[in-house]
Amino acid sequence: MPSSRAKREGPRRRFVTLGSILCLAIAGPSFAAELPRLASINLCTDQLLMTLADPAQILGLSPYARDNARSWDAAKAAQFPLLSGEAEDVLVLKPDIVVAGRYTKRATRELLKDKGLNVVEFDVPRSMDDVKKQILRMGDVVGHRDRAVAVVARLDVAIAHAREVAARKQYRVLALSRRGWVSGSDSLTGALLSAVGLTSAAKDLGLRTGGFASLEAIVSLKPDFLLLAEGSSFAEDEGRAFLLHPALQRFYPASKRLVVPEKLINCGGPMLAEALDRLASELERVER
Amino acid sequence: MVIPAPSARRPIVVTTVVLAVLVALLALGSLGTGPVKLSPVTVLDALFGGGSDVQQTIVREIRLPRAILGLAIGAILGLSGAALQGLLRNPLASPSLFGAPQSAAFGAVLMIALGWADVRSWALPVAGITMAFVSVFVLLSIAGRSAGLLLLILAGLAISSLAGAATALVMNLSANPFAALEIAFWLLGSLEDRSFRHVQLALPFIIAGAILLMTRRSAFRALSLGEETAQSLGVDVGRLRLLVIVGVALGVGGAVAVTGTIGFIGLIAPHLMRPLIGHDPGRLLVPSALTGAALLLAADIAVRLIPSTTDIKVGVLTSIIGVPFFLYLIVRERRALGGGIA
Repeated sequence: MPSSRAKREGPRRRFVTLGSILCLAIAGPSFAAELPRLASINLCTDQLLMTLADPAQILGLSPYARDNARSWDAAKAAQFPLLSGEAEDVLVLKPDIVVAGRYTKRATRELLKDKGLNVVEFDVPRSMDDVKKQILRMGDVVGHRDRAVAVVARLDVAIAHAREVAARKQYRVLALSRRGWVSGSDSLTGALLSAVGLTSAAKDLGLRTGGFASLEAIVSLKPDFLLLAEGSSFAEDEGRAFLLHPALQRFYPASKRLVVPEKLINCGGPMLAEALDRLASELERVER
Repeated sequence: MVIPAPSARRPIVVTTVVLAVLVALLALGSLGTGPVKLSPVTVLDALFGGGSDVQQTIVREIRLPRAILGLAIGAILGLSGAALQGLLRNPLASPSLFGAPQSAAFGAVLMIALGWADVRSWALPVAGITMAFVSVFVLLSIAGRSAGLLLLILAGLAISSLAGAATALVMNLSANPFAALEIAFWLLGSLEDRSFRHVQLALPFIIAGAILLMTRRSAFRALSLGEETAQSLGVDVGRLRLLVIVGVALGVGGAVAVTGTIGFIGLIAPHLMRPLIGHDPGRLLVPSALTGAALLLAADIAVRLIPSTTDIKVGVLTSIIGVPFFLYLIVRERRALGGGIA
């Protein structure tokens, strides 16, 4: 699987670089009016686009862009048109570039490419280096590399700060979501933990990218802290109720739960700086 | 009133005692089964306050509520099946074929999807009971007093399909992006990771329903002699019907509100007991309840033992056992069903 993925990635990379060079070549000599106009069909590329592109460059964002629970900059997204996430409205908009995720909406991406649109795909990042590369790449795509460099610098500051806070003690943290889903060490959340020097307890469960863990297994695992996306005690469904089970509450009351909202941690992008700051302040809170 | 001959009582007592022992053993087996391996000695030790705090928590707060719910819900489903079969003098009557659990799940899901209630609030069993009552009431109204087998099965099928579809639709329409997993829980049923909060929510209703149904035993016995005979013996058949519907709704609605739809236990349990106990619907109640408890506890142990990457829902297993059994019953009742068409 990894080898075939690498093979597929080769030509696409070249294609993308070519695309961005082309854009820069067009944009270079003239002014902002010549910058590419883009549409996004993925929540994570939405965030990168809103951070790095000029508002005038953004033709439309994905359906979840205004979802306050999942979209980091939902407030800013309100000023841009919302797309269906399907091919139709993108084709009508005729953007210079469509930005998309690499693992979702395959049929949509294929169709758009067939119709001659320039589709730039972003992988799911698995390390902080991946994240930085993606930010810079989007900077190139929209023609604002300087902004991307500034975002990466801000991320580095946040990593250093969180690292400093976490380095005081060796903690084992389990990143746990609804229904017992555990993010593995080989995931964005895992990368975030290791970037600040925290140990992910997921590998003791034998989970690399992630998987479901039973309540019994989690209780026996005894990590120092749980990393959760929500701290409320309202169970709107059975999946949330898992995190509020009395057995879990006994060992992990609020003082043992690090809460970093989902919208700060679900994408690789500028929001991770905020996630890291939040993680640092949560660690300071539970240590008190 | 039919007075059973003394000789007929013995097999009932023996069967009941054997079943009670079996249920107790399965409940202990349920306490001993789980993803974390604990020896039987450790389990018993932890149950009575020994062992490490983790072992205590696993046994007392994760496995004990699961075993209690498995026992209680299996029992009420078996009892409801026996009561409905007694009331309608119809071997294919059971809560799940009448769409009662599916309707109760719809009621519970409606509360969640509208955002009115936490999934661990009283609103869920209340909504579940209401919808279970409505479904059984509507079904018996459609079927009328002397309903044939075919009419009941078809009407039940319609109601359960509608309730299942409505459950899925309500979850799809809610803002919850994890609807697919939630739908699976409500349609297929699971006892996984239940807590004493859930026991607290379901048990009062299950007990109330059980008492209501158990106290009708002499009426069922009289009814087995025919509706007119029963009436001459002082049984108010209309009132009996209503009380049985209420009893079934209380039990099934309370159960479904904490575990989702678990089907077919109520159909199978009375049939397993008939060859041993005979056809007296009054005497079938207790053994059917015990059989139901044993079936659900066994199914819930099995889903934890079958190796799989994600949890198998217990309702899947009861349906896999229940549907072939249902088909077998249909084949056996073929003549009666054929008569229904003609």
